Order: sequence, then structure tokens, then C-alpha cells
Amino acid sequence: MKKIWLDSYPQGTPAEIDPRAYASLGELLERSCARFHDRTAFSSMGVPIKYGQLEGLSRDFAAYLQKALRLRRGERVAIMLPNLLQYPVVLFGALRAGMTVVNVNPLYTASELRQQLADSGAAAIVVLENFARTLQEALSGTAVRFVIPTQVGDLFPSPRRWLVNFAVKYLKRLVPRWRLPGAVRFREALAQGAAQALDEAGVGPGDAAFLQYTGGTTGRAKGAILTHGNMVANVEQVAAWARGTLREGAETVITALPLYHVFALTANLLVFMKLGGQNVLITNPRDIAGFVAELRKTPFTAITGVNTLFNALLHATGFEAVAASSRGTLKLAVAGGMAVQRSVAERWLRATGVPLVEGYGLTEASPNVCANRFDTREFSGKLGLPLPSTEVAILDEDGREVPSGEIGEIGVRGPQVMRGYWNAPEETANVFTADGWLKTGDLGRMDERGYVEFSERKKDVIVVSGFKAYPAEIEDVAMLHPGVKDAGAVGVPDERSGEAVVLFVVRGDPALTAEAMLEHCAKHLTGYKLPRRIEFREQLPKTPIGKILRRELREEALHPHG
Amino acid sequence: MAEYPAHLVHEHRLFDGRTVTVRPIRPDDAPLVREFLDELSGESKYMRFQKWVHAPSDKLIHFLTDVDYDLHMALVCAVRHGDREEIVGEARYVSELSGGTCELGIVVADAWHKSGVAGVLMEALIHAAKEHGLARMEGLVLSANAEMLRFVRALGFKTEPAPQDRTIMRISKVLQDPPARQAR
Repeated sequence: MKKIWLDSYPQGTPAEIDPRAYASLGELLERSCARFHDRTAFSSMGVPIKYGQLEGLSRDFAAYLQKALRLRRGERVAIMLPNLLQYPVVLFGALRAGMTVVNVNPLYTASELRQQLADSGAAAIVVLENFARTLQEALSGTAVRFVIPTQVGDLFPSPRRWLVNFAVKYLKRLVPRWRLPGAVRFREALAQGAAQALDEAGVGPGDAAFLQYTGGTTGRAKGAILTHGNMVANVEQVAAWARGTLREGAETVITALPLYHVFALTANLLVFMKLGGQNVLITNPRDIAGFVAELRKTPFTAITGVNTLFNALLHATGFEAVAASSRGTLKLAVAGGMAVQRSVAERWLRATGVPLVEGYGLTEASPNVCANRFDTREFSGKLGLPLPSTEVAILDEDGREVPSGEIGEIGVRGPQVMRGYWNAPEETANVFTADGWLKTGDLGRMDERGYVEFSERKKDVIVVSGFKAYPAEIEDVAMLHPGVKDAGAVGVPDERSGEAVVLFVVRGDPALTAEAMLEHCAKHLTGYKLPRRIEFREQLPKTPIGKILRRELREEALHPHG
Repeated sequence: MAEYPAHLVHEHRLFDGRTVTVRPIRPDDAPLVREFLDELSGESKYMRFQKWVHAPSDKLIHFLTDVDYDLHMALVCAVRHGDREEIVGEARYVSELSGGTCELGIVVADAWHKSGVAGVLMEALIHAAKEHGLARMEGLVLSANAEMLRFVRALGFKTEPAPQDRTIMRISKVLQDPPARQAR
């Protein structure tokens, strides 16, 4: 195939990258730690940790997993942490020890967590104490043998550590009571690991670095197997794209999207680690006042986010001053995960002088596939150009390329594309064409310059602030309620989050209220999957043979009283 | 009470040698149909109903098993295990009151995918529809269900995106030409 997009590349951007630039993510860390030893790698709530320290701490944690817990290569270690200093320590500890990381959304409910732990077969989990209670409820029926709880301030120097941990637990009361027999606290694990040698894990590009979970059309989350080679390739691809914009040892990126999500994991944590940059970890970007206060204190050169986040910042008190003071220092703002609204992009450009550059990707591609040019001044409204060493094709139903300019399914090939789904050969077979194209489930077209344009989704999925919610899972939960006869979930456009979930319910119990329904859903579904609105109906629209008509439900959701 | 169309009962030998019976459904199939649906994976159920279905309600089972063999025709594919039967697939059509068009639905037990059961059922369903003078068979298939789309295309169905909803493909097949005019 002809890579027509290459002609649209900025000068100096290579067509190909070396997907074997590092043998593993552990090597990436080790090389950066050696080169940038005294530079700050991460900071959280004003507390920095240097590359040299990260090397030592992750080594200790790796040795703990290898020697104290005797985990074998390839065993799964789950991480249930928000953006805190512990995250990179645990991440690189597990990877350097030769384990496979399972990222877990810390806001998961017990049932969501149990499903992910059981499917991945995770042997150990590191959990922020605030969520230990959920873990306690989720553990039965999983293969988890080791639990390592940590407190928010565990990597802060004392007395800050004691103050923060005390405040979180007793003043803010953010830690529900929990009891996990046999749990070994994070600091104790580090101390035990420090006394042990770390054996070379011998991990190579073909080994699984992550089981990165993503929802499925039919409700069951699947783990995309992302190898060290996949992740290294995607780091190299993004770094090559940023070559004219970002400099080694000179960047500070705001990391407000959660690192358990593959976008921030690659674009922020890994790419900026390669560059010797600093990740400023924002633990709770929903606390918008706190977020803006943090930005005011920290000069930054790059930021990533989703449309929802940039929009929230633009409307936040005090952000105008932050934007003004970052003029001249801020170089790059990248948005992914969901469509960027033109109004938000234009407002961002006016406020900061830097365009909001849109990228496109998916978990199965580690995740970055396309990006707009970083040197652009204009909002293109397109997904961008395929990254170096990436092929994008627009495919018909049979997996053949459609004539140029026509709409079809966006297909991806490249070194960043996953090997397959964990323990799901059928799903794996279904997501690839005979020619090896990864089928994204998104429909779009490619223009004559090679820019990929999104048209609509082929898969029935609702994207809420960049997170994917599948109707089947929401319906499954809704129908667990004894007062529900039938339920149908659809997505509707939403100003703030891009899309929002609307749930239609057919009651068996006439006394069932929307509040009770929401409360029930919140017990089983994490926040972004929750219905924004609940509508009761006598029946759901169905075809004569009994298939639900979602299009009609969407219409009804848009015009509730029409 | 509709008369049971016994002439539609047929035995088939699948290519792996197993023998199955295709026959119109009966009201007393209710327990077997319930068993069949309970055994289906979430995926298979989702493909059939295009939404999440828990344990099927009595109302649904009644709808599926109590058919009139005219406007609503349902065929099951069953295998014998000694003196008991197991349903491993079902296909049906419901025809609208006018226009000679019917909607089809088909679902096969997960363990019986790629066994040939779907082909046997579809062939029998199309035969029954033709016998009832239906002119056209239609259906809705999830765009993500590539296997089903390939299968029906091989059977001569046309597939096209449903209007205003790209998550769904509309499939259709002309069963017979409108009555031909006598020449001369």
C-alpha cells in the first residue's frame, strides 16, 4: 500500500522508527535513570522523586516481588492506584522483576474489580488503602495471594508523610475500614526488597508487559496483551512525532489523566521518561480548584488530557492567570480519548497560545495510532496522520481496502498493535482481518493528504470523557435489580463528557424509583458508566422478532417528551 | 390451534457425521428452549437480541415456543442423547401482515458454531418462508458480528448499513419474484 500520509509529515520526522530501541521497558527506565540521574522524574503534591531514586525504589520493589513473594516471570501484578508517586515505583518494580502489569481503575466497584482480577489471574495487587475495602469485598474467587496496601503519603519524606496519612485517614475520613489478613504494607515491602538482590529477569520485546483491560461489546472486559515491544514501539513513535517540539531533559508534563489508562501511561509516563522529563502527577483532577492551584505552582511545558478536562480547565477560576503565565513555556497540549470540540480547541488556543492537538488511538494499539502535526496552528477536526511505522487502511466488510475517500472501518497495522486478547482466542480472531489489520470498530475515511477523519462508531459503545461504557454491561447490572423487567442503555451527546448514558427501564415493581435504580447501579458500576438519566417505559422498542431498536431509544433519549 | 407442520421435520447429517433433526418448534419445547438460552454465552445472546438478556422471562419463552406456523414460524435443530433431546440452534421468522416480507432471527449454541447447524436451519427456514409465499426475508445484524455477515452473504443476502445507525447492518434476500405475468 502507498503511505500517502508520509508526504504530509513535518520535515525531519522519520517514516520509520526502531521498534527495538530498547529490549524492554525496564531497559528504558534503567537507561533514563542513568542519563538523567539527578533530574526530577515525578512529582506529586509538590514532592519530587528523582530518576536515581526511582531506579532504587523500583529495584527494591522488584526484588520484593521476586524474592520475598517468589513470583515467577509472567505472573500478573495488579496496580490499583491513582496518580501517586507509588505508581511508577510499583510499575517499574513489576516490569523489572519480569511480571505482567494489570492496571485497575481504583474507582471500580467490587464486582468490576473481581471480574478483572479473576480474568487476569493476578497473583498480587498493590492497592491504595482508600480502596482496600473494595478489594476486600472482591477477593473471593480470585487467584490473588498477596496484597500490598499503601497510603497516600507513603513516599513523602517525614514528617509530611505522617501528616498526610493522618489527614487522609482521620481528618478527611477517606479510608473505609478494611481487613486483609496477611497484607504487607508497601513501605515494609520496600524494606524487605532492599535487603534482597534483584535477578536479571531476561525480559524481551515479545514478553507481555501489560494486560490492559478494555470493555467488550457484550459486557465482558477483555485484557489486551501489550508486550514490551508494543509499548517501546509506541514510545518511539510518539517521541519521533515530538522530535521538533520536545527536547531531552527539558520538559515538564502535566499528568492529570489516570495512569491506569493506557493513553497517559504511554504519552506521559513512558514518553517523558524516555526524554528525561518530569511528570507532574495530579491525583484528583476533578478537584478543579486544587488542580489549578497545582498548575500555578508548577511551570510546565506540556499537558495531555481529554476534551472534558481541557473544557473544565478553561472554565475554572484562576486558569486564565495560569494560561497567561505559561505563554512562552508551554509547547504542547495533546488531546485524545474522545473527539475534541472545535469551540474548546479554539478557546484553548486563544487562552494559551498553543493549539490543542488531537490524537487517536485505542487500547489494542498501545494506544497511539494517529496524531495531528505538533507544529500545526489550526484545529483540523481530524484524527490526524498515521504515526511513523504505522499503517492505516479504510476497510470494507470483508477486510479489503475501500476506494480512496470512501467511508469504511479504520484498520491499523504496526509494531504497537497488540498480540491479542488474554485467554480469548475467538475475540482475538474477530478483531483482526486475514491481512493482519486490527479492526478499530470506528468508521472513517482518509483524505488525499493522508489525514484520517472519524465518521461514526461501528461498535455499540458509549464514550464518556474518553472512557468506554458498553450498553450490555449497564443493562446487565440494571437487570440484576429484582424490580426490573427489562432495560436498555444508550448514549446521547453531552456538552461536558462528549456522551452520557441514558438508561431505559421497564419496571416489574411499580414502586421502583429512579433514585433507587441509580443507587443500585452505583453499587456495581464505576462512575463514568452510571446513567446520567433514567427513564421508565412500559416496554422497549423491539423488532417483531425481538431485537431491541437502539436507534429509536436514542431518539427518545434526545427528545424525552417529543 | 395451529396445525403442526409435520412435513417440515427433517433429519440431517452434519459434515462431522453427527445427525441432527430440524423441526418446527412445539409449545412443549419450552423447557428445552429455556435450557438452550440459559446455556448460551452472553455474546451469543447479545448477538440474537442485540441487548443483554438475563434468564429469559416466561413471557419470552412463551413468545418463542407458542407460534402459529404461519405469520410466526420457528424451527429448532435438536440432537438426541438417549431418550432426551437437546436444542442446539433455532431460527425463526415473523412476517408482517402485509407486503410479503418477514424478519428472521437465528441463534446457535456456542459449542455448535461452525458445525453446519446454522446452514441447515437457514436452508429450512428459507424453504418454509417460500412455501408460505413470502417474497422477502430481512433482518438486523450487529455490524460487529462479522461471522454472521459473512454467513448470510454466502447465502445470497444483501447487506447494507441500517439508516442512521452504523452499529447495525440490514440484511435482505428476495425469496421469489413477484408472480410472473403470463406471456402473450
